[in-house]
Amino acid sequence: MIHASAKISYAVVCAAGLVLAATGIGTFALGKAPMTHWVLMAHVAVAPFFALGLAALALTWSGLSRGGADSPLSGAAKALLWLVLLAGLVVSLSGVVPMMPLLGTQGQHFLYLTHRYSAIVLTAAVLLHLPLLARRKGNA
Amino acid sequence: MGLRCFSYACVAGLAFWLGLARAEDVHTESRTPFLHNIPLHDSQGRLISPPSVVGDDGKPQEPKANPYSPAQTCGKCHDYDTISEGWHFNADSAAVPPGRPGEPWILTDAATRTQIPLSYRGWAGTFKPSDLGLSDYEFVTNFSRHMPGGGPGEPDKIKPTDPQMGRMNITGKLEIDCLICHQNTGRYDHEARFNALRAQDFRWAPTIAAGLGVFASFKSAGSIADAWRPGRPVPSVLPAIKYDRARFDTENNVLFQVSRRPSVNNCYYCHTSETALGDARWHGDGDVHIKAGLLCVDCHRNGIDHAIVRGYEGEVRDRVISDSMVNLRAALLRRDNAAFKDDDARKLARQQLQSEAGRIETLTCRGCHTEGRLGSPRLVHRGLPPIHLEKLACTACHSGPFPKSEPEVVHTSLAHKLGLPGPERGRQTAPVILEPVFLRGADGKIAPFKMVWPSYWARLNGTNITPMPPAEAAKTVTLPQPSSDDAARDPYNTKPLTDRQIQQALESFPVEPSKGEPVFIAAGKIYRLYKQILHSSESPSAKPYAWALGHDVRPASKALGTRGCADCHDSRAPMYFATVAARGPVEATNGLSREMWEMRGDDKTAASVFAFTFNFRPLLKIIVFAAALVVLGVLLHYGLRGLGAITARGKERP
Repeated sequence: MIHASAKISYAVVCAAGLVLAATGIGTFALGKAPMTHWVLMAHVAVAPFFALGLAALALTWSGLSRGGADSPLSGAAKALLWLVLLAGLVVSLSGVVPMMPLLGTQGQHFLYLTHRYSAIVLTAAVLLHLPLLARRKGNA
Repeated sequence: MGLRCFSYACVAGLAFWLGLARAEDVHTESRTPFLHNIPLHDSQGRLISPPSVVGDDGKPQEPKANPYSPAQTCGKCHDYDTISEGWHFNADSAAVPPGRPGEPWILTDAATRTQIPLSYRGWAGTFKPSDLGLSDYEFVTNFSRHMPGGGPGEPDKIKPTDPQMGRMNITGKLEIDCLICHQNTGRYDHEARFNALRAQDFRWAPTIAAGLGVFASFKSAGSIADAWRPGRPVPSVLPAIKYDRARFDTENNVLFQVSRRPSVNNCYYCHTSETALGDARWHGDGDVHIKAGLLCVDCHRNGIDHAIVRGYEGEVRDRVISDSMVNLRAALLRRDNAAFKDDDARKLARQQLQSEAGRIETLTCRGCHTEGRLGSPRLVHRGLPPIHLEKLACTACHSGPFPKSEPEVVHTSLAHKLGLPGPERGRQTAPVILEPVFLRGADGKIAPFKMVWPSYWARLNGTNITPMPPAEAAKTVTLPQPSSDDAARDPYNTKPLTDRQIQQALESFPVEPSKGEPVFIAAGKIYRLYKQILHSSESPSAKPYAWALGHDVRPASKALGTRGCADCHDSRAPMYFATVAARGPVEATNGLSREMWEMRGDDKTAASVFAFTFNFRPLLKIIVFAAALVVLGVLLHYGLRGLGAITARGKERP
């Protein structure tokens, strides 16, 4: 069984991720990167909710997704969740570290690209994870 | 026999002439400056040789002779025609692209409250002198004080029937005075030059300014020209220079201490730009590059064509490879390979020069600090998201005075006659120029600009506005002048006009429907009478003229952003929310007033909300880092557990 708190955290990550992907990856896909003005503000405004959701996701789903656990999740779903957490961590840090006076232009640019491509990986992982989750739940 | 002798004589003459020509085409090509101990030549190319102390008759003689000509003297070795195509001299050439808008000449007249930006280059927002009915001669008499010569001051031909340019047959042309930039003695006398030019002693000015001699007449060339009428012969005897004999050696050579790389102080005569006014100047830090020991010309370089690198990104697109440069290079190519056909040599020369021109991009701020030229520190920008480098010019954060809630009044050499003695200029001294005003350049990047609002009397006919030159306006307009006390203290000062005074002035113009109704342009507005009531409104004709500012460059430690994002992203950050009040000869409350975002056509709500979000940036960072810590902890926990399980499984195997 999947606990309600786990479902809520998953929903928060998906909802926030949707906005972030639409603003971030959407801008990139439309060839208008980097984000500016309202799009950037929306992206930054939703980011903390995503981060909190991701932390909750880690706490509530990690037990379900560990190897060998008695869980309704398939092996692929478990693996994808770890990928979601790992990519989410990279996305979060590569988004916030540039706000600190730590790295110069090259480092910033590297983080910018890291943020972009880890976000694409994260989105893909979530999109793959969702149907696996639905199928498993249906079977259950 | 006679014919043969004549032929030999011709050949010998030609050989002698060619010999001379070759002798003049000499170069040292060393980094050691050549000792310029050289003979002087007058404007006709004749050698200047002051008479000996005592004449043949035993009487003492004064060392009088014609003034020296830089074109003839320096031009003996340096190709004057090529030099005269340089950026400082080519404003009136239609063949030269205008490039990025630069500082205009500002026709300023305190009596009529006129300040009109002028330029031959046709920069949008400026007037061409001819738009105001100003001839080249009048332009030169107005601005020669800070013109190095050439351009409109040195026409190819002088029409003797032209009542204005014809005067140059007497006053001489305003030749390029090489020493303004290239002397390195610090003894070039700008004030003496100014006085000579004011008297329209154009031909004499270089000699006087160089301290080679003094004007040897009580009557100036200008006053002689005043008595001349078009079509009449030019007086055959014109004033001489009384030379300083000590400057000539026994072979009549004069030592010029010159440098190919002009000193900073030489550039500052025309390019001083100062916001720390009056006695406060000592607080100014100056430009960080100069403090580091660089010269202006380390970045603003040029070759013999004097096409000075202006230093903005994309400048290479605005540069023209002149025919003179192509010819010079083609000659070199043909010297190295005589088999080259002329056309091929010229084609290759142009290709080479165009290719070389691309290198000037490494002399921009970005280029130099990316390449590390001249020991420049590499770009770091720690903590600055790269998008800033796409949206902002380097100067936005690094140049000009640190932005405050209002732009500051700035005085420049060209506008305020800096470098010439006068009573202390004040904050009201016309023309009032403000900096920094953050606008978008042609490349779409935000950059700091200097800004001046035109002010003039004009006739409005339909939608056409025809400015009146100050002299014409002065015939009708009578405006209150500064009190005598003020005039003594600050003759350039102008007190703001009241609406009543503007109305009275407009009413004083004769009604001439064919010319249009009289109007006054000032501080971003047009003032006009409607049913005997004064109305003012914003008008495109009153738009300010702005040009990018590059200096003084502040060190990285004083750049915008070093105190944090709030330098630009605070709800009161000057880059968005400084107030730019249009300045001109009207009461301050009457002019237009805009915030910086408005000047750029930005969205205020977006700017304000964005600034507001920065209040939550610390919280955002805390949340994200805390959440990341949790995720990292979970990943490590299960990761280590997984590793532990794997290693334990290994132990269990027999």
